[in-house]
Amino acid sequence: MRSVSITRRLILTVLVLEIFSAIALIGAITVHERHLELKAFDATLRGSADSIMGAIQDGVNDTEDLVLDMPGMQLPKDTLFRVEDERGKIIGSVGQVPEQIALSATNATTFQNVQVSGRNYRFVVRHGIRILDPSEARGEVRRTITIVYGTPVDHVWHEVLEAIRFFAIATAILIGLTALLMVWLVRRCLSPLHELALQAEGITPKTWQFESPASAMEILELQPLVRALEAALARLQRSFEQQKRFTSDAAHELKTDVAIVKSSLQLLSMRKRTVEEYSRGLALGLDDFTRLEMTVQKMLTLARLEQPSELATREAIQPSCSLGEAIEEAVHQSRSFADLKEVTIVVQIGTRAQVPIDRRDAVLLCSNVLLNALQHSPPRSSVHIEMKVTGGSANLTVRDEGEGIRNEDRLYVFEPFYRGDISRSRKSGGTGLGLSICKAICERAGGSIEISNLTTAGAQVTITLPEQR
Amino acid sequence: MRVLVIEDEERLAENIVGALRETGIAVDRAADGEAGSYLAEQDVYDAIVLDLMLPGKSGQKVLRDLRRRRLHTPVLVLTAQEGKESTVELLNAGADDYVSKPFDLGELLARIKALIRRAKGVSTPVLTVSDVELNSVLQTVNRRGNSLNLSPTEYRILEYLIHRPSVFVSKRELLEHLYDFDWDHHSNVIEAHVSNLRRKLNVEGAEPLIETLRHRGYRLCAERNVV
Repeated sequence: MRSVSITRRLILTVLVLEIFSAIALIGAITVHERHLELKAFDATLRGSADSIMGAIQDGVNDTEDLVLDMPGMQLPKDTLFRVEDERGKIIGSVGQVPEQIALSATNATTFQNVQVSGRNYRFVVRHGIRILDPSEARGEVRRTITIVYGTPVDHVWHEVLEAIRFFAIATAILIGLTALLMVWLVRRCLSPLHELALQAEGITPKTWQFESPASAMEILELQPLVRALEAALARLQRSFEQQKRFTSDAAHELKTDVAIVKSSLQLLSMRKRTVEEYSRGLALGLDDFTRLEMTVQKMLTLARLEQPSELATREAIQPSCSLGEAIEEAVHQSRSFADLKEVTIVVQIGTRAQVPIDRRDAVLLCSNVLLNALQHSPPRSSVHIEMKVTGGSANLTVRDEGEGIRNEDRLYVFEPFYRGDISRSRKSGGTGLGLSICKAICERAGGSIEISNLTTAGAQVTITLPEQR
Repeated sequence: MRVLVIEDEERLAENIVGALRETGIAVDRAADGEAGSYLAEQDVYDAIVLDLMLPGKSGQKVLRDLRRRRLHTPVLVLTAQEGKESTVELLNAGADDYVSKPFDLGELLARIKALIRRAKGVSTPVLTVSDVELNSVLQTVNRRGNSLNLSPTEYRILEYLIHRPSVFVSKRELLEHLYDFDWDHHSNVIEAHVSNLRRKLNVEGAEPLIETLRHRGYRLCAERNVV
């Protein structure tokens, strides 16, 4: 996978934008500068023409009524001009003014661009009126004078280019500085991210400490990431510790069961015994072994139920069974135990409902909850099983009349091997996995299981399962 | 010898108690921490087998309370926990030995016997007093090369006395250490057994070994040599 650097991308974006705006700016400056320079150029042209106009003097003899007298007058290099009167008489000229310049009839001053021997010239055409000396005998004579004056425009372009160069260099330097500043700034802004990564790197299955660095928490954009990290870690740690506890509890349980089986057989073989002693010892050993087998079997059941099954997600082969029938079968199975404890089982099944559980698991669920209730029932009491269907879910409640559940146990009672006592005393029977298996079955089917105390006496287990239609 | 087994696991306790009784040790059993603590503090036991996970009061607490009362009864701990830390913790808390489940019953018995021996200042299973040799593993007694045929109770009385030589052992102490609570406490029983034992020890050419002092008890008279 190609990796992308945010720093590089950010800086590149900013630089590209800056360069684009610089180009646009230079374009605008070019247009503006050219306009200004041309205006100034035209003013100079007009001024030069005016000074030439001022240099026209009355002639000394009669043949020349007007002469151009410009002693010491400095004209720019390569200047071309021609002064003539309305009769086409040339009063004065410098260089060869091209013929294609239109001498407009009106008195307006006009500007024209013309190429002269490969160079761009700008000409001004200026009209003026001179009145010859009125005291002369000839009388008042008015002469309309036309001045055509032009200079090369190259230097206008030169000025414009100079201005562009200045702006371009200044912009380039500015962009360079911005780039350096950006690198520093972005690095500084991203440093909390590095700190966060460093903290996260220190997490191992042994050390779960994760202290979100204050620098990361200060940044608004990083806060969701930090919070998500913390939450994910907390979840992982919880499940990791649950797993660890389960493994250790399972080991304890199995070791105890194995210790019993082993010591039973070793006791039997300590010395020669009578046939009766042997057969009694073997029967006891077999009982011990059965219990070990039961523990292993329940652990495997729990492991199977807690494993996410691919089959369960497929609609076509989703398991299904009638919850009512499962309850009836569980009651049937528990009947002898109930008779032994002199407990009456009262079953109330309202509407029948199909639930998305394998039939064997459903019976296991019902009988586990029922056995739990029976175990906690005093003699000559009753256990109530009730099933209702409300709003698309099947509700199963099992009530006993026992001593109820301690509040501190309520949270943990569904955890594997929890027996409400650190000793995990086995006197009450069972392996401590029954309710965990119930929880796993319910959660696998998308339902839930809860235990609460009744206001009267005893505990109530409530199972909610989605109804299948 | 009398041992207390504090273990809540019914079947495991039955097996340990059965095995100990078969090797001629009197056994009492407590099924929870509180009862175990109470019995242990009577100071009549030569060793205690203690499970760690107990209802009522944890094994660690039973052990700590016992040591706080300055009772030095050797304690062997049964543990199903993994990890070295808990082992170190246990030994530091005053346990003398530990066996992890699932254990070997024979090993457990040998360790209990070794604990009892060591607590009484003996390190080998063969004890000798004067010309009497007692093998506590094979449970045989020899005097001057002659094997003596003792009943289990007689053997246990001799074994207890041989562990406490030159000291007067009262009838009450003998009763406490030889019988568990299931037995009938009758001092006459002890008297009968001691007189039988004295008769059996009476080998030709040997001096009487057991001295009786009225109201004080019995004493193994010769100095003890440990081989």
